Amino acid sequence: MMAALRRFFSRLVNLLRPGRAEDDLSRELAAHIALLEDEFQRRGMTADEARRAARLALGGVEQTKDLHRDERSFAWLDDARRDFLHSARLLRRNPVFALTASLSLALGIGANTAIFTLVNALLLSDPVGVTDPGRLVDIGIGRGDSGFNPASYPTYLDIREHATTLSGVYAYPMFPQAMSLGAGANAASVERIFGQFVTTNYFTLLGAIPAVGRLFGAGDSDQPGASPLVVLGQGFWKRRFSEDPAVVGQVIRLNGQAFTVVGVVPEGFQGTGILAADVWLPLNTVASGNPRDSVLTNRRAGWLVMGGRLKPGVSVAQAAAELDALGWALDREYPDPAGGRGLRLLPSSRVPGNRGVIAAFVALLTVIVSLVLVVACANVASILLARGAARRREIAVRLAIGAGRARLIRQLLTETMTLFLVAGGAGLLLARATTSVLVAWLPSLPFPITVTLALDGRVIAFTTGLSLVAALVFGLAPALQGSKAEVVTALKDDSPGPSGRSRLRNTFVIAQVALSILLVVVGGLLVRALERAGSTDPGFDPHGVQLVSLDLSMAGYTDTTGPHFWRELVEHVRQMPDVQAATVARVLPGGFEGIGLGGVAVPGVAPPAGPAAFGPSWNIVEPGYFATLRIPLIAGRDFSATDRAGAPPVAIVGEGVARRLWPGENPIGRLMSHQVGRNESTLLVVGVVRDLKSSSLVDGLSHSFVYLPLQQHYTSNITSTMTIAARTAQGERIADEIRTLVASMDPTLAIVRSQTLEDSAALGLVPQRVAASLSGSLGIVGLLLAGIGIYGVTAYTVARRIREIGIRIALGAQGTDIVRMVLGQGMSIAGVGAAVGSILAAAASQLLRGFLFGIPPLDPVPFAGAIVLLLAIGLVACCVPARRATKVDPLVALRYE
Amino acid sequence: MPSKEPRRVELLQGTLDLIVLRVLATMGPQHAYGIAARLERVAEHPFTLTQGTLYPALVRLEQKGWIKGTWRTTENQREAKYYAITKAGTRALDDQIERWRRLAGLVDKLLLQEPE
Repeated sequence: MMAALRRFFSRLVNLLRPGRAEDDLSRELAAHIALLEDEFQRRGMTADEARRAARLALGGVEQTKDLHRDERSFAWLDDARRDFLHSARLLRRNPVFALTASLSLALGIGANTAIFTLVNALLLSDPVGVTDPGRLVDIGIGRGDSGFNPASYPTYLDIREHATTLSGVYAYPMFPQAMSLGAGANAASVERIFGQFVTTNYFTLLGAIPAVGRLFGAGDSDQPGASPLVVLGQGFWKRRFSEDPAVVGQVIRLNGQAFTVVGVVPEGFQGTGILAADVWLPLNTVASGNPRDSVLTNRRAGWLVMGGRLKPGVSVAQAAAELDALGWALDREYPDPAGGRGLRLLPSSRVPGNRGVIAAFVALLTVIVSLVLVVACANVASILLARGAARRREIAVRLAIGAGRARLIRQLLTETMTLFLVAGGAGLLLARATTSVLVAWLPSLPFPITVTLALDGRVIAFTTGLSLVAALVFGLAPALQGSKAEVVTALKDDSPGPSGRSRLRNTFVIAQVALSILLVVVGGLLVRALERAGSTDPGFDPHGVQLVSLDLSMAGYTDTTGPHFWRELVEHVRQMPDVQAATVARVLPGGFEGIGLGGVAVPGVAPPAGPAAFGPSWNIVEPGYFATLRIPLIAGRDFSATDRAGAPPVAIVGEGVARRLWPGENPIGRLMSHQVGRNESTLLVVGVVRDLKSSSLVDGLSHSFVYLPLQQHYTSNITSTMTIAARTAQGERIADEIRTLVASMDPTLAIVRSQTLEDSAALGLVPQRVAASLSGSLGIVGLLLAGIGIYGVTAYTVARRIREIGIRIALGAQGTDIVRMVLGQGMSIAGVGAAVGSILAAAASQLLRGFLFGIPPLDPVPFAGAIVLLLAIGLVACCVPARRATKVDPLVALRYE
Repeated sequence: MPSKEPRRVELLQGTLDLIVLRVLATMGPQHAYGIAARLERVAEHPFTLTQGTLYPALVRLEQKGWIKGTWRTTENQREAKYYAITKAGTRALDDQIERWRRLAGLVDKLLLQEPE
């Protein structure tokens, strides 16, 4: 054992310091020969004879040295080390090749790494501070795709009571809530923070260990309003309390209410998701204002994401089956007019219920960046092929003096791997820069997100693996070709090498051109779609409207004081200078949000078939909404001061709703029945407005709304968070003025967010925008690389045919003939590539149809644009070799070889 | 050339270590040439021992710490690397001899058995 260990280390030492042992051996062998010579001379040979006999007796000295080397060190590793040093020397000697090749590869690898970092953060990495996250599951209401929607509190209670395969079920609202932190009575220092409500069993089930104090646990009541406790997030604790452990027991005021600090979550903890919270509060303290019970008793209000921990020995499939059965039982007990959709249980994910959607988007990005990598690899492979051609003589010499082909291939592959690893390193740095740009984009989202886009071990392993696999795949063909040199012909002259090489090289360049065209066309199509989305009339005017959102839920407003506050606030905003029109609305068009308030029908008319009522989009607004957003009123009137609580309930409908309920008739003055759950009420239609066009990712259909007046429909669970929209004369930003105004009216209120309607409406287009800029910019990089490829092929051909060109010129060929010949060759490659690429792009555009908002998938503009761009780049690439061809001096060319 | 002498004895894998250790144990420090010469003298049949196998064996034994090489001068004022067996080497030699005896005994027994 000891001996084996000793041996291993001394082999290692010899691997690292090969020189000494080698010298020693040479000396020893020389001594051996000397001793043999002495012996032979003693036997009567002459000195010369003895020397020859001694050498003969010893056998092959070099062979002995090789065997010795194998024995004293790790020969294959030693070979690899020497190949690596050789490659590094070669790369240093060709800095232009090394730089361009590794730069283009670094782009490809870097883009892949950046996307993988995203995949890692969103889909692969485990949440911090959570014990055994693999046994956690997410639960929600089933929906059409593979994801789920949030559930209501009563549904949560039923699941918690009945689920037997889970050791516990917790719940929390989908998004953290913006709250105002007041330091005691000092109203001047209101700070906006984000609070995450969780059930009191949340931390226990996640297995989180408190950093200070305790977390919520079994001792805390789940009764509404019973536990005014708060757990601090690490960041908030450090920022606000300088990591003071004595914070436990202190009282902080959130939205004007007192909460006692019980502890601090562990470092890095943010639950299972990616949304960041400053503080954690018991779910029962949500909506502590009156009526506090509505949001906790309404079975139709879906707002909670649920999760649980599997009991030991229970599989995800077993738990999913139980929850599925439970879901259908609940649907039978509490029938939903929109039809029950059961419960869905999925393995815990950083993006609960939306893993599928995110995965699909990331997959699209991955395809784009992989294409770029393939283009870059093809580029390098074709350069390697060309270099292989230039090194035919060197390789032939090696083969002639006895190098094995396998050994040669290994050496050529090592060269490629060295190059790819250098590029991989650069790619990692590039990805670092890219991801920090990504992180910089995050704050523009309406809720705080903490994604650790760190280059952790998994990312580095991915990049290294990717580099090595790509090197193997794209280095093998050039290495096989390169090691095939026919010794005799290669050593004899420089005549054209095997034609397989140039065919392979043309294939690489064609592939490069084709894939670049594909990327540019896809990028172009998406840009066109974005333009279309931006230029189509969305049905409202998003320019020059300032939005400010407020949350009243925890500030103690009731069903009477709430609507009054909003009305008063709007009046004040309307009186501000520069403000032309102002309103308050529950949702604004173009963003992510939406509310569902049930279905509508014509009273007394039995629906033909299908669901009893049809469900439009809903909004709850103050008077002035249509004027502020410039949504044309087609018939009837806007809401007015007379539409208050107690007055006959009224509604304004979109054209689509009107057409559907009363085709061909005037809807003004008609009654419409409104069904929520088992409740039914009647609404009087007082106005008809133009439909909106959604410009979001989801679809390009028109959105037909039913609008209700806020004063008649204030309920704390739905209308606590509202948005003030104010149209200013010159598009001035007046968020700060509104903030001051709000603070003067109620200092405990926090601004949830403020942004322009333009920004808010553009949020839905972020995925297209990212995909378009990524594929477009990378496609153009690809085209430039393809240009280098075309240049390389053409220049190589010119160099090879220099003698032929010389003869042609000697025989009287004109410069234009030569140029035509060279251009023809280069451009035919470009042409074939463009044709293949266009076919690929046409196929891809069919797949992307859903992202294109009615842009025809074969829209000629991106196709023509990409091809023209390619032809221009190709022409430039061919120009230099063509010029060189015309400058050929026949006398020199004929003597050339 | 080995192929011209058909009756050469091939060394069993692993026995070279034993042989080298034994030579060094009985004769004291030797250089590679001395070891080779000694083996040729002892062997009744010529056997396959090129320097190609001896040198790797020496480096292997040295790396295991069983022998130690030092540069010295011969009687003829030539420099040569002399290998000497170490304490660990002596112990290893005993082990190897024991193992060899057991193996040889087994093979002998098998060869002496009557065919059934």
